[in-house]
Amino acid sequence: MNLARWRTYRWQLVAGEAFDPGMQMALDEVLTRRVGAGQRPPTLRFWEWTAPAVVIGRFQSLRNEVDLEEAARHGITVVRRITGGGAMLTEPGKVITYSIYAPLELVADLSFQESYAFLDAWVVEALRALGIDAWYQPINDITSAQGKIGGAAQARRFGAVLHHTTMAYDIDPAKVPRVIRIGREKLSDKGIRSAERRVAPLRQQTELPREAIQEHLIRTFAERHGLEEGGLLRDELEEARELVRTKYGTWEWTAILP
Amino acid sequence: MLHGEYKTPGGKLVQVDFELAGDRLTNVRVTGDFFLEPPEALDTIARALEGAPASLEEGELAARITQALEAFDRVELLGFSAEAVARAVRRALAP
Repeated sequence: MNLARWRTYRWQLVAGEAFDPGMQMALDEVLTRRVGAGQRPPTLRFWEWTAPAVVIGRFQSLRNEVDLEEAARHGITVVRRITGGGAMLTEPGKVITYSIYAPLELVADLSFQESYAFLDAWVVEALRALGIDAWYQPINDITSAQGKIGGAAQARRFGAVLHHTTMAYDIDPAKVPRVIRIGREKLSDKGIRSAERRVAPLRQQTELPREAIQEHLIRTFAERHGLEEGGLLRDELEEARELVRTKYGTWEWTAILP
Repeated sequence: MLHGEYKTPGGKLVQVDFELAGDRLTNVRVTGDFFLEPPEALDTIARALEGAPASLEEGELAARITQALEAFDRVELLGFSAEAVARAVRRALAP
C-alpha cells in the first residue's frame, strides 16, 4: 500500500556528520529548498548532534516554553525550527532524529494529518520488526504501549515537504520539565491517560544500541523505498552556515515570538 | 496583559496574550504548539482580533478569524481552529 508512491523517486541518504543545533535548523531549510527547486534528489537525512538543544516550534512563545536561565545553566542551546509543533529536548547520542525532504507531489493529495502517518509508516514498521509495539497516534506522535516514543513536525514550504521526527532513545524524562515548561491546560485532556502519555525512550524497550536501531531504520527505508548513499555538497554547507549567521543563530529569529 | 489558553481535545494548545484599550483588544499575540500553513497566517489571525470589542461572543470572534483567513488561497490549521483561538480569548477575558 502506497509503496509505489515512494518508489516514484530515487531517494538519497545523508548521514554521519554531526552538526550544532543552529546548523541542523539551517540544513533543514537548505535541503528543503534544494529538493523543492529540483536541485537535489528527494533525501532522507539522519541527524547527529554535537551539543544538547531545546528545539521550539515555529509558533511557540520562547519564554512561555523555555526556562532560558535553566537552559543556559545546563549548557543547552535554544533554537527555533521552521515547522510547528512543540518544544523538545535533544542530547548527542540520546535521540534519533531524521528529516525527509520530498517533492510536494508525494503528499499532494493527502491531508496534512494523513501525510504525517504516511511519512512515518516505514519507522513504525521498522520498530515493530524490532519487537517494539509501536503505532502512529494522530496527529504527529509515534507511540507504544509503554509510552510516547517520538513526535514529528511538517511544513510544506519552498515547493517541497519537510517532515522531521525526533524519537527519544535515552532522554531522561525527568530532565525535560526542568527546561521546558508544560502548562496545566496542555495536560487537560490527558489526565486519565497520563500513564499512556508518559515518554518511553527506545532504550527502555530494546537492548539494541542507538546505532543499531538507526541502521535498522535505514535498512527498512532502503528495502521499502529504495535508497542511495549520498552526502551534503560543499555549497549546501556554505549556504547553511550563512543561514545560521543571518537567521537561525540570531535572537531575532529565536525570539520572533518572545 | 491578559492571557488565555485552550487545548483542543486530541489537538494542540493555543495561547493568547493581549491588552485592553478601553473595551477593545490590542497588542494581540497568538502562540502555541499547533501546525499552520502558511506560517504568515499567524499574523493574519492576530490582526483579525486586533480592535475587536471585548464584549464579542466566542462565535463572533471565531468569525472574524475565519473571514480574515479567506485572504489565503489555501490555509490549513492542524490541531486547532478559529474557534479554539476564540475560546482562549474568552477565557482570558472571563477567567
